[in-house]
Amino acid sequence: MSPTAIRFFTLVRREVSRFVKIKGQTIGAPLLETFLYITVFGAALGTRVGDLQGYEYIVFVVPGLIMMAWAINAFSNNSSSILQQKFQRAIDDQLSSPSSPGQLLTALSLGGFLRGLTIAVITFLVALVLVDLPVEHPAILILALVLIGFFFSQLGVLVGVRAEQFDDVSFVQTFVLTPLIFLGGVFYSATLLPQPFQTLTEFNPVYYMISLVRYGFLGIDDIDVLLSMAVLTAVTVGLFLFNLQLFRRGYKLRS
Amino acid sequence: MEGIDRNGQGNAPALLVSDLVKRYATGVEALKGVSLEIPDGSFFGLLGPNGAGKSTLIHCATGLAMPTSGRIEIFGNDAITRYREAREAVGLAPQDLNLDWFLTVEETLDFHGGYFGMPKADREERVEELLDAFSLVDKRDQRTRTLSGGMKRRLILARALMHRPRLLILDEPTAGVDVELRLELWHYVQEVNRLGTSILLTTHYLEEAEQLCDQIAFINHGEIVAQGTSPELAGRFGVDSLEDAYLELVGRKELSRSHLGELDGTEIE
Repeated sequence: MSPTAIRFFTLVRREVSRFVKIKGQTIGAPLLETFLYITVFGAALGTRVGDLQGYEYIVFVVPGLIMMAWAINAFSNNSSSILQQKFQRAIDDQLSSPSSPGQLLTALSLGGFLRGLTIAVITFLVALVLVDLPVEHPAILILALVLIGFFFSQLGVLVGVRAEQFDDVSFVQTFVLTPLIFLGGVFYSATLLPQPFQTLTEFNPVYYMISLVRYGFLGIDDIDVLLSMAVLTAVTVGLFLFNLQLFRRGYKLRS
Repeated sequence: MEGIDRNGQGNAPALLVSDLVKRYATGVEALKGVSLEIPDGSFFGLLGPNGAGKSTLIHCATGLAMPTSGRIEIFGNDAITRYREAREAVGLAPQDLNLDWFLTVEETLDFHGGYFGMPKADREERVEELLDAFSLVDKRDQRTRTLSGGMKRRLILARALMHRPRLLILDEPTAGVDVELRLELWHYVQEVNRLGTSILLTTHYLEEAEQLCDQIAFINHGEIVAQGTSPELAGRFGVDSLEDAYLELVGRKELSRSHLGELDGTEIE
């Protein structure tokens, strides 16, 4: 392996070892939370709700939960990891190494991405056992989830780098991300909403993400799939390039 | 080939700083055109009061701060345009005990080696050497958070040496350590220097600088105000010791031990 590859894999290994060492908190807790959602909204309330867009409620809700788990864990992992390392100044060890800004950014992003992926895959496998979950468009599904995971990883990096205290991270998660995700239609179809809420939902970017994942699993296409995929790709790449500029400048990392 | 260093730059100084200016976003000018040369193989001391610009200079040399203007070269490699080569040559033991709480002692060294591109077998061998040299063998699986202050200080120095740097930067390495550990660290860094590693040391302990350094520079208010050997500096300020030269520099010569001694004597009489 070249020195560049060794550097990159070590940076990723550091991020993965962090969340693995506290796996009860980083993997166990989010899994429990996801299965509580499945139990409460799917099994308990779901039987009263009836079918949604031709699917049992529990089947309808699982794709959104998988996406939500990946997104929130990717975000919170990266924002917390970066902020903690900034507090301890431990990040100086990576910053004073020969690693390039692009390597640092990608490795820090992958920590949360892989944690979200782990939780999403376990949730998917358990859901397969519990319910009859179809996968109608696997290629679109995988591509959409990877892009969404990477988008929220980038968002976590951005907030972690900007943050100066833990409140800055929890503010974004509690007052921005969670409402956008919940109101984006994880637990319901936006088509059921009365006006003006249905139109308002169309301004929520997470609505398109959830719809893409639901299309991949169930084949429900209440959005323009190709256009949504193109926009998702563009904003994910855009956010990565924006972060890369910040890393090159050393924004809030190098004084 | 003789006379050619490992980067092919030929007898380049370990650190060459030219007209370095660092102005923070707050407007504070921490370095006001610093120029400095540390020859390859030298044990160089940088002395100055708190806030003089010592750590800023070190941060600029190691990529932790972005210079406003001026140049820094490490063994002939520009610290900005050839940062990979420049940083590969430097090992930094910072003033803060900035260890990663999630890592064990062994992982701290292993990850650092990885960040510097060392292959696994080489890392394993080097980790054993350093754990042994710094008496950390029985702490290898302990999380860094649980180490005593002295152990953390040893680990910081071992980490700086992990990738076998050609320039070792020690930013107040003996602040707050006990006498035994201080002497142990002195012996170790002297040996490292004897084997060819250049060293830049900042310290508040003047006897440490006198004991270890072949060249000393005084920095104050972001400027290098004097440079030379310990006797040369004393001579330049017209005093008998490095400490008195330092006190002249910071404008506190009334604190001189000789002066206090005279006062003591007067009282006894």
